[in-house]
Amino acid sequence: MKKLRQAGILVAAVLVLAGVVCIQYYNQKLQRYEGQFFGSFDTVTTVTGYAKSQKDFSEKLGLLEEKLAHYHQLFDIYHTYDGVNNIKTINDAAGKQAVKVDGEILDLLRLGKDMYARTEGKVHIAYGSVLSLWHDCREEGLRSQEQARIPTEEELAKRAVHTDMDDLVIDEEAATVFLRDGEMSLDVGSIGKGYAVQKVAEYAREIGMEHTLISVGGNVCAVGGKADGTPWVVGVENPRPDNGEPYIATVEIDSGCIVTSGDYQRYYEVEGERYCHIIDPDTNMPPQYFSSVSVRTKDSGVADAFSTALFNMEYEAGLALVENMEDMEAMWVGKDGQIRYSGGFNNDEEK
Amino acid sequence: MKKNDVILLAALIVAALAGFGGVSLYSKLSTREPQAVAYLDGEEQGRYPLSEDTTVEIRQTDGSYNILQIQNGKAEITAASCPDKVCVNHRPVGGQGESLVCLPNKMVVEIENGEELGIDAGTR
Amino acid sequence: MAKKVAYMGMLTALAFVFSYIEFLLPINLGVPGIKLGLANLVVIVALYLLDVRWACSLSVVRILLVGLTFGNPASMIYSLAGGILSLVIMIIAKKGKLFSVMGVSILGGVFHNIGQIVVAVFVVETTSLLYYLPVLILSGTIAGVLIGILSAILIRHLKKAIQAEGTKCE
Repeated sequence: MKKLRQAGILVAAVLVLAGVVCIQYYNQKLQRYEGQFFGSFDTVTTVTGYAKSQKDFSEKLGLLEEKLAHYHQLFDIYHTYDGVNNIKTINDAAGKQAVKVDGEILDLLRLGKDMYARTEGKVHIAYGSVLSLWHDCREEGLRSQEQARIPTEEELAKRAVHTDMDDLVIDEEAATVFLRDGEMSLDVGSIGKGYAVQKVAEYAREIGMEHTLISVGGNVCAVGGKADGTPWVVGVENPRPDNGEPYIATVEIDSGCIVTSGDYQRYYEVEGERYCHIIDPDTNMPPQYFSSVSVRTKDSGVADAFSTALFNMEYEAGLALVENMEDMEAMWVGKDGQIRYSGGFNNDEEK
Repeated sequence: MKKNDVILLAALIVAALAGFGGVSLYSKLSTREPQAVAYLDGEEQGRYPLSEDTTVEIRQTDGSYNILQIQNGKAEITAASCPDKVCVNHRPVGGQGESLVCLPNKMVVEIENGEELGIDAGTR
Repeated sequence: MAKKVAYMGMLTALAFVFSYIEFLLPINLGVPGIKLGLANLVVIVALYLLDVRWACSLSVVRILLVGLTFGNPASMIYSLAGGILSLVIMIIAKKGKLFSVMGVSILGGVFHNIGQIVVAVFVVETTSLLYYLPVLILSGTIAGVLIGILSAILIRHLKKAIQAEGTKCE
């Protein structure tokens, strides 16, 4: 009888051990989750990724949300936040004093200057004075269709005087930014979101989200492919979906980013004419070349800048620019629906 | 075989059949058909099957509103009080997981049980 | 005792082989977990011809063996849950003397499935798995009937053999 009891205890011990092993084995299996949050960069952020449990995923999603909100505050041009010197702080101090800012703002502004140089001035972060005029006209026009108007040429010309990139003075050593022209302002809308997505994607990798797809309002960035090794499928939305498919192209990515600039999300109409939120710094008017331009490359900030730049220039000039860049592809959708690609944009069709 | 065996057998078969009935009833109640689910500030406001054409006004106490229209199996916002009208400009949605969002009004419409599009994210 | 150990070894081996056959020839009806449970046949035979303790250890040893050879840790915990619950119910049913081998076998089949699904609900953390319950009760019942018929035949024949030998030895 005693032996039997000992045997029983042994079996019980084995069972408990086996149970523990099983549970751990199960827990290592990754499952796919998707999460959404709002608030940052005035858009929806969707994160698709893999985790051991919903709880684990939610925790990491919360970390990404915090990180993105941090950049949202830094790059905000409409609001100030306690204890944070952001872009609005710099704008408010224009012509008066230099503002001490976070290293990441300096980093972003450097990127802005670099992109300005590389895109022949088609991406212009010191262009706030003109952009805000258009912004106000757009909001007014959306509020009441009857009063919808576009800024006059004189108004635009007057504002455009205060957009000299050289008046944006960055003091690296003191970590300060100064706008020499009191009438000028920064608007980092063309690169801020892209820069932030890039940082959040890098952060996701740091906290162990190895297979993650982040989309901040259609600004998509992949951190590794799916857990099974296949790439993510990203659809390029049809800018004119009234008659046809919601997506006009699909792209497979397992690293890198894809960003689209289009005329179909933020726009208003004056006398039947569509005026979108992107303004060409050379004409002070919304460009009429395309309904959307998508750019894929390694860095989301660069992709964001170039999608704006290409939207602001003719196809040939844009293509030349893209071909000059290492590891960058683009897709243009004309106002008439015509689709053009640079060499390796659509990797599915190449195969 | 005893009489009790037969009773047991019958009881189990009845239990299984009752279970089938319950499950099919339950799944009929929690419809699997495609529907648009409207949320305000994260709280569910209503579910509207995509198979029925309808127009819903999602109004809030402060007077802000979004008009949700369901037509031809797709949902779209046709009018809204928000300043940017991004939700109104958004194309109609009907695919699984697609959504219409109006940030100023904190209003979200999400498609449940929609057609699978085979796309992980969209760029726009 | 020695004789019982010999029977025990043979039966364990047989149960193991039955498990392997089912592993090689899975029944796929769209719902995971449906199987005949041939190994249960051996457990029932042991329950009736040897005794409760032998049947218990046979069942556990078989599950561990299967889990360590061609199963995996996850499938092992399901088998353990199903196997133990099914065995406990069968022992009670047999002691209660309300049912014949057939009833015991049916209960064994049904509760094997119930045990597995209960564990699955806890592990996967979704109660939607309970949708499968009716299917699994039905499949458990059918498997139980078939195994019950086979068990009755086997027990009748083996009983004679074992008792005949038993008397000789004594």
